[in-house]
Amino acid sequence: MKLPFGLGAKKAAAAKPKGHDASHARGVMAFAHTAEVIRAEAALKAAGFPVRVMGPPPDMRTGCDMVVEFELMREPSARRVLAEARLAPLAVAPVRAGMLEPVSLFQSVDFGQWLMVRAANMKVTVDKETRVIVNVSGGGCPDVPALAELMVGRTLEDAPAPLERGQTLCSYALELAFREAQRLLPLDAGSAS
Amino acid sequence: MAAPKIVDARGLSCPQPVLIASDEMDALGSGRMEVLTDCGASPENIGRAAKAKGWKLVSSAEENGTVRLVLEK
Repeated sequence: MKLPFGLGAKKAAAAKPKGHDASHARGVMAFAHTAEVIRAEAALKAAGFPVRVMGPPPDMRTGCDMVVEFELMREPSARRVLAEARLAPLAVAPVRAGMLEPVSLFQSVDFGQWLMVRAANMKVTVDKETRVIVNVSGGGCPDVPALAELMVGRTLEDAPAPLERGQTLCSYALELAFREAQRLLPLDAGSAS
Repeated sequence: MAAPKIVDARGLSCPQPVLIASDEMDALGSGRMEVLTDCGASPENIGRAAKAKGWKLVSSAEENGTVRLVLEK
């Protein structure tokens, strides 16, 4: 069975697959709040760290349901970058089997006239011809109704980016879905054509 | 008064009730429409889509797990 990230399985470790030696080991940082995860991701990316946000293993659950994955060998320098941004992870652990799928993974469903893009727990549905957002759903975070109110009825260009208005896990996932929808439905292939 | 257009979206999962209702709103242009849905998140989403299209959510009532939304424009 192929495990996420190729880590954690004895067989996989014994085989030492290319690209999974110690120098490529990945770690995860947990933070107290979603807003900190979002800021940490932005700070580390700006500093050139290849990081991504993902769901934590069950035993690493904190108040926030996301962690930042990073290169474990670069932990000291990553911590320095975070300290400069006044951020401190609650916990750091190596990536292992059982990690949830990264929230950056998308699922899209073509409904003919419409395209639905899902990222983690949030979905955005867009009219493929006009690029107007017809629906925002999912989540359960308190800011979702307000975000949906701002976005539904607007085009992918006119709608505010979810992270400009929200700071929850839902707004983060919605931001990812929103960006993916923009990528899948570029302006020159939509209403401008 | 003409009979309202009935849109039966029961048994469909999100976002399909919204899409079907949205399509019907576009097709009708104006008038009165009733949307039936048993998808939990859809009533709120349909109301939002209606507002974005200039329709008014006149009423929303739930009975035996089905929500009946009345829309007008």
